[in-house]
Amino acid sequence: MILRWGFLAFYGTLSTLPLLWLAVTAIKSRLDSISTTPKLLPVFGAATLDRGSIRFDATLQGFVALGEVYSGAANAYYHHLFNTLVIGSCSTIGAVLLGTCCAYGFSRFHIPGARDWLFFILSTRFLPPLAVVIPILMMYRSLDLSNTHLGLIILYTAFNLSLAVWLMKGFIDDIPKAYEEAALVDGYTRWQAFVRVVLPRAVPGMAVTAVFCLISSWNEYAFAMTLNNRGAVTVPVYFAGLQGNPEGMPWSQVGAGVLLFVAPIVLFTVLARRHLLRGVTFGTIKQ
Amino acid sequence: MKVGFVAPVLVLLLCVNIFPLCYSIWLSFTNADLVGVDLQSVGVLNYSFLFSDPRYAEALRTTALFVVGSVSVELVLGYGLALSLRDRFRGKAVLLTLLLIPMMMPPAVMGVYWKLILDGSYGILNQLLAAVGIGQPQWTTDPDLKLLSLLLIDVWMWTPFMLLISLASLNAIPSYIYEAAAIDRASRWRVFRRITLPMSAPLVGLAVLLRATDALKQFDLVMAVTGANDGATQTLSALLYQVMFRDGKVGMASAYSYVVLILVIALASVFLRYLTQLQRRAGAA
Repeated sequence: MILRWGFLAFYGTLSTLPLLWLAVTAIKSRLDSISTTPKLLPVFGAATLDRGSIRFDATLQGFVALGEVYSGAANAYYHHLFNTLVIGSCSTIGAVLLGTCCAYGFSRFHIPGARDWLFFILSTRFLPPLAVVIPILMMYRSLDLSNTHLGLIILYTAFNLSLAVWLMKGFIDDIPKAYEEAALVDGYTRWQAFVRVVLPRAVPGMAVTAVFCLISSWNEYAFAMTLNNRGAVTVPVYFAGLQGNPEGMPWSQVGAGVLLFVAPIVLFTVLARRHLLRGVTFGTIKQ
Repeated sequence: MKVGFVAPVLVLLLCVNIFPLCYSIWLSFTNADLVGVDLQSVGVLNYSFLFSDPRYAEALRTTALFVVGSVSVELVLGYGLALSLRDRFRGKAVLLTLLLIPMMMPPAVMGVYWKLILDGSYGILNQLLAAVGIGQPQWTTDPDLKLLSLLLIDVWMWTPFMLLISLASLNAIPSYIYEAAAIDRASRWRVFRRITLPMSAPLVGLAVLLRATDALKQFDLVMAVTGANDGATQTLSALLYQVMFRDGKVGMASAYSYVVLILVIALASVFLRYLTQLQRRAGAA
């Protein structure tokens, strides 16, 4: 019992401290963020503080500076945040909808070689992005898709499908067939039965799937970095690109930017949390 | 009709995965480069070069070390946390959400940000270590510690994933089984060994598979913390990036990625077969 609470407290503290430090960094001035004495305690409105003090003057400079174009970058943070927002949400919607349809197909019909197809779908997740990036780059150049939002949306949709199909299949397997069969008898077409009867019952599963798709497309780096150098640069690429800048890393901006960046995802996860645990069983466990 | 449901996904995946793979298998037999000199077939030259390239062997070793190290620590921590979080208690939802936050963070940015924590002079970790009088390890520059730092960051980010799936698998074990065990007066260890572990194994195994394949592709953290061309931390993906984009040798890089791919798919299919067996056994238990 003591062991258990001790372990939880120990890990919880260790795991939360970096996050807390991120939040503290976000309200520091540039000098305080790289001070050689640890600056731990924010003080509001103190005019002068001793250099050796562990207190520092809290400031919102970091957040304000997000609106400015940092030297070496082409656009300000919010421009990139907008790119991520468009690409992340469109690809998530795409992956969840397509994945649900596909999972329904595999769940309800006898499809020849279903096991092999499902393994193929899962195996696309094993693929290192860099292994396919050159052909995709060439393909995108000839289709005018490089440096566009649509290009990344298509890619992220495709790479999230593996997880979406597998998660949704677990969910749809659990929805009794009797509902749609009754609807089919009532004269619904298969598609109508799917949309009106199955989809509403699959919403919790879709929410959980959306959480995972959103996390991975929001944070994706390898494709975003290699396919886009202008036009649709996302936030991870923007921040990673600030490294090696002669002016040094703007740590308080990074802190502030990351806080704003993860806020929507945390919010979305909190909204879907009631279904989260039920949602990730991949149908391996039958109730 | 049934084709209509599954076809869009399969077509999209074939376009985005199989077509590029076919294209790059062709590239792997050529001298293709980024600048675009006229393409010539070089036969198996790229492949024979690859097996004699010490960087490739080194990257394989680094990646294997990284995968085994990160996934095993994440599994033990995540499963342990899930066992501790099983029962209901006040504030559980809040605690769980808090514990899950690291996996929502962008790895490419977190890698950069962790350098602020781990920095030798102004990093908070070494400042704290100095306060308690332990030495000043150079986390991100000492060749012996770099990989360990990457592991640390990866464990921080992805233990929550193991926790989440482990907890889901534990929650799905029906309570009547435990009630039956209580009637039989089975010891706690026996209950864990005979019920909890085997019944949660299939799903936790799937989580291990997903984590392992993600760790095999590890790229974001390496790029952020040490860069693509650092011998101590050059994973296969970092090596691929180096050969493909820095050296510009696309044909060579395609050959490299093919060997990785065959390895990954082979390992994954063996593991998946093992999981199916586990599941059958759990179903029979």
